[in-house]
Amino acid sequence: MSLEIQNLHVRVEDREILRGLDLNVAQGETHALMGPNGSGKSTLANTIMGNPNYEVTEGKIVLDGEDLTEADPDERARAGLFMAFQYPATIPGVSVANFLRTAVNAGREEAIKVKEFGQLMRRNMELLRIDPDFTRRYLNEGFSGGEKKRAEILQLAMLAPRFAVLDETDSGLDVDALRVVSDGVNALRGEERGFLVITHYTRILRYVRPEFVHVMLDGRIVREGGPELADDLEEKGYDWVREEVAASAA
Amino acid sequence: MPPSALEESRAAALEVFEREPVPTWRRSGFWTTTLRHLRLDELEPRRHEPLGSYDELSDLVRESVGPLDALSGLIVQSGASTVFAWIDPEAAAQGVLFTPLERAWEEHGELVERWYMRRLSAEEGKFPAATAAFWTGGAFLHVPPEVRLEKPLQVVYLIDEPGTAQYAHTLGVVGHHAECTVREYDLAPDLDGQALHSGAFELYLEEGAQVRLAHLQDWGAGEVHDISTKRVEIARDAHCSWVPIHLGGHLTRQELDIITAGQGSDMRHNGLYFTEGDEHLDLFTTDLHEQGPTTGDTVWKGALTGSSRASYEGLIKIVKGAQDTHTYLQTHSMLLSPKAKADSIPSLIVETDNVSASHGGTVGEVDEESVFYMMTRGISRMDAVRILVEGYFEPVVSKLDDPALEALVRGRIAEKLSKAEDEVAEYIAERS
Repeated sequence: MSLEIQNLHVRVEDREILRGLDLNVAQGETHALMGPNGSGKSTLANTIMGNPNYEVTEGKIVLDGEDLTEADPDERARAGLFMAFQYPATIPGVSVANFLRTAVNAGREEAIKVKEFGQLMRRNMELLRIDPDFTRRYLNEGFSGGEKKRAEILQLAMLAPRFAVLDETDSGLDVDALRVVSDGVNALRGEERGFLVITHYTRILRYVRPEFVHVMLDGRIVREGGPELADDLEEKGYDWVREEVAASAA
Repeated sequence: MPPSALEESRAAALEVFEREPVPTWRRSGFWTTTLRHLRLDELEPRRHEPLGSYDELSDLVRESVGPLDALSGLIVQSGASTVFAWIDPEAAAQGVLFTPLERAWEEHGELVERWYMRRLSAEEGKFPAATAAFWTGGAFLHVPPEVRLEKPLQVVYLIDEPGTAQYAHTLGVVGHHAECTVREYDLAPDLDGQALHSGAFELYLEEGAQVRLAHLQDWGAGEVHDISTKRVEIARDAHCSWVPIHLGGHLTRQELDIITAGQGSDMRHNGLYFTEGDEHLDLFTTDLHEQGPTTGDTVWKGALTGSSRASYEGLIKIVKGAQDTHTYLQTHSMLLSPKAKADSIPSLIVETDNVSASHGGTVGEVDEESVFYMMTRGISRMDAVRILVEGYFEPVVSKLDDPALEALVRGRIAEKLSKAEDEVAEYIAERS
């Protein structure tokens, strides 16, 4: 069981952003994808989920043998993919609770029972230390950065996908919020779920320890290793990667 | 015997009607509302026999207004005739009057004459004059001072056959410190042919009165032309929340005016429209502040499908002497079809100082990023659009503060969206 990205090339408008990217995430594993700004991290996340603004010109996205490269975003979600957005959309007029129920029901044959849904929501809100009043607010309207990220992880918890991409979930969080969100993510890790944690900085990786670290530059993965690779990046920044890559190309 | 005040008023209005041409409303830019397709000569008032009971009302009416025991009163006019008029005995015992306007002129002439057309004039044009000259049936409501009604007073104007010309007039007076909810529904089944609703609505809130007012217009898919004027006057320290809901009509031209006429008066005006097919909607609202300090807040939201057109012009006018007025107006429209056209024109006339007034208007489309976001949660494209449209309207719908009516409006919007489903999905997919 795995999410496989094979030789992925992606265009946005007239620019090629991903240029032959390969990545495998097996269920039960947590991978970190790091890279400087503009390296294509968010493009990969959006392409995995099927954002129509990103055009795949070559390569494949395969989940458990099923080719999802051409699938609509909702089919991908129902197949078991999830993304926590860096900048989640605001949905005015739709409460968090209503949205969650609609999303949970979208992935089920039969609508979830009101009681079961309530219990599930309460349990997950406790996990993320979310105030009960939160669910009556319109989704992401007037939310602080921390509230938006908690709402994303709450959706992750409610939808229980097989693979989750966290796109810069640590950005805009103070240390306390980062810890709450990380605790939530850690509680959701397990044999049945794979994670791809996309980040520019290493600080989230201190809480959510990955088994594998990939470094991305100019639309490709250029370095791979264990968690120690993240520590190197923390210490030395991205320049040494860039220099090494340039040297080996020459 | 000298002619009565009503006869004099009708005679004067008739002169204006005969003098005035059929109007065309032109606005800067491309907007024109014309009645050149209306065959006025072929329409006439249609009489209907009164019904013996609520159960004899059509399904359309009963399903829209809900059960009688949830109302303080119900007046239903079909075509030119009052077919049903009922008041809850409890409300009547408190001195509430709720009766066809024709009957009110006979039974409470002095009271009616004091208020009748205080803020309306036959001189405003051909159709206001027609309404003033020809109205029949109608509705009159009077809530005595300090009386509080829990349940709504409900008026229905029904057009149930093509060829109908309906001249409608509702007059309401809510006494000082009284509280009530008023609903007026304009309804028709899907008629095969033309009809006209020429309407007048006037409501006066006396000092400290509190009123929730809702208008619901759903003329179905037939060729109903609606030319109406609705005006609400709010006296000192009184408060009115007015929510007009436009869910359909072949051609509609309405003026909706709300006047804060006394110090401390406050108005909340939240409107909604949803147009489809080749419907044409032309709304002109005025928030007139005659005294200060007064407060106002106007929000209009619309969505358009098919090749429908909607124009909303919202004017805030603060006259000399209305210092310390604070008022806001916003208008938004959402296009759900490439062929639909929306026009939003907020404007402002301020003749005094020390006021705050602001306005803004947007015309937008369904936000692609929001659709994508919801789809990544497993929600289909069409459901995502539906959620966005419903969510967009929700702040207005919830202002109704009337669960039965809210459910009715949400249901009708969902029906309209599902009817337009293929067209909307195609449009969204094309743009992404």
